[in-house]
Amino acid sequence: MKKILLPFILSLSFFIVITQPSFCQKNNGPVEVIILHTNDMHAKIDNMAKLAYLADSLRKTHPYVFLFSAGDNFTGNPVVDMVADKGYPMIDLMNRCGFTLSAMGNHEFDLGQEMFNRRQKQACFPFISCNIDASGAILKQPKPYYILKAGKIRIPVLGIVELGENGLPDSHPSRLGGLKFTDGIEKAKEFTWLKDKYGMLIALTHLGVESDEPLAKAMPQFDVIIGGHSHTTMTTPMMVNGVMIVQTGSGLKNVGKVTLTIENRKITSRKYELIPLASIRNGNPTVQAAIDKYNDNEELNRVIAQAENDFNGENALGGLMTDAITSMLSTDMAFQNTGGIRISSIPQGEVKFKDVYRLDPFGNEVIVFKMNLAEIQSLIGNAFDRGKQVDLIPSGVNYTVVTDKQGLCKSVELSDIKGNPLDPGKEYTVGVNSYIAASYKFNHRDAGTSQYKTTAQTLIDYLAKEKNIRYSGVERTTVKAGE
Amino acid sequence: MRIFINRKEITIFAGARVLDAVRAYSVRSAKRLLNGSLSVFDRFGNPTEPDGRLTDGQILSIRKTK
Repeated sequence: MKKILLPFILSLSFFIVITQPSFCQKNNGPVEVIILHTNDMHAKIDNMAKLAYLADSLRKTHPYVFLFSAGDNFTGNPVVDMVADKGYPMIDLMNRCGFTLSAMGNHEFDLGQEMFNRRQKQACFPFISCNIDASGAILKQPKPYYILKAGKIRIPVLGIVELGENGLPDSHPSRLGGLKFTDGIEKAKEFTWLKDKYGMLIALTHLGVESDEPLAKAMPQFDVIIGGHSHTTMTTPMMVNGVMIVQTGSGLKNVGKVTLTIENRKITSRKYELIPLASIRNGNPTVQAAIDKYNDNEELNRVIAQAENDFNGENALGGLMTDAITSMLSTDMAFQNTGGIRISSIPQGEVKFKDVYRLDPFGNEVIVFKMNLAEIQSLIGNAFDRGKQVDLIPSGVNYTVVTDKQGLCKSVELSDIKGNPLDPGKEYTVGVNSYIAASYKFNHRDAGTSQYKTTAQTLIDYLAKEKNIRYSGVERTTVKAGE
Repeated sequence: MRIFINRKEITIFAGARVLDAVRAYSVRSAKRLLNGSLSVFDRFGNPTEPDGRLTDGQILSIRKTK
């Protein structure tokens, strides 16, 4: 038996010896790696089946296909944001598409740290960011980078999240408790060793193109920066300091395809293509079935509160909307424009999620200004003059507009809800929606700050807190004809 | 924060989006942006979605959609 086996073993070892160099040679030859990427999907799930189909098709013909998200996967679609397991539909669909990796975006924090930890656990892919320190927070510490494996090739990918002027990501500070953030570009410089070790380096950023550009200038070590946050649609890549910068817009309308050729531990060629998902005719049927299930979600029919009477007209509905802001965001007062109240009544009985979205469908965010009495008067007066009638429904104050002969605002008398006049020397916090903040003309020294929370979400939270609500005979404004 | 649209300086709240800045620039332009007849570009010439977040000092231009 040994005599029979020995020649066979010898010939096999010869075969191995002979073939090993050619295998090594083959592996040192050019290897093509495809990175499909998207950013700022904002819970828009309708094109997920097309994305899955595209990724599946490429995987059939290419051994190394990866799928990245450059952050902001959540927030922007009630069928994802308003379910009991907030954000889960997005994670489920991303798992089904075979996402490899996601950067942390500012809207990842919208779920709250505890809820986001649960989503991270359910995700079959990691979230990365190098400039978040979660050691004192509830959030599970994200890894700074991830190593892609393409055969024997290792490709490091570094995650970076944006910080606003206040040194925090664009999210309400209440969601960021215990977290520390450091400047992304400075922090990234600590990871140049990844380039030295692996011969290549990719950034998966949620910085916006305005920061991706200086990142490329500061760190030519990056071969590619796959970006997000600014919702920039790049049909051709930007080349800065030899670094390729790409981004695909928002809402999963497009997917980017970066094709890298790697040889001898170096990226020798980079190609980029922006693929509009509308151009993909087929969809993965399993993913489509899951999307249909989520879109048909009964959650939108879920009851949030009980209306103890009919809420009729702009005063009652506007009062409800502004009371939500003063209550949930602790502002001294709030104002809602009548043009932003899109239904005429909420009948007595159950108030559902869909009622809120019918009342307030615009996706405006709450903006808070610090204003003195004269500035508040200018806001009310200018709003009145737009149509020579009351335009702003308040909470926290009552007001009377005194008109001149032309019917324009001559003066505004304000009092708090107990009837006391406001203090002209005091600074008040005033909440309005982003439409008022951007398009209304009024005097204000403070430019205002977004609370990164929609007015609709604020109302939902308020209704859920109050549970039983009564609005009748709400009259917080009057008009007095002057001389 | 300060944003520049077609070389005009706009002061807008922190955390504003492209649409907010265009509304502050011109409500009429904002309506045309939403109906697709106008598009917004960043200083590199890239098209930017109306819901994109802005950073202080950002330079934008509004042009007719081709």
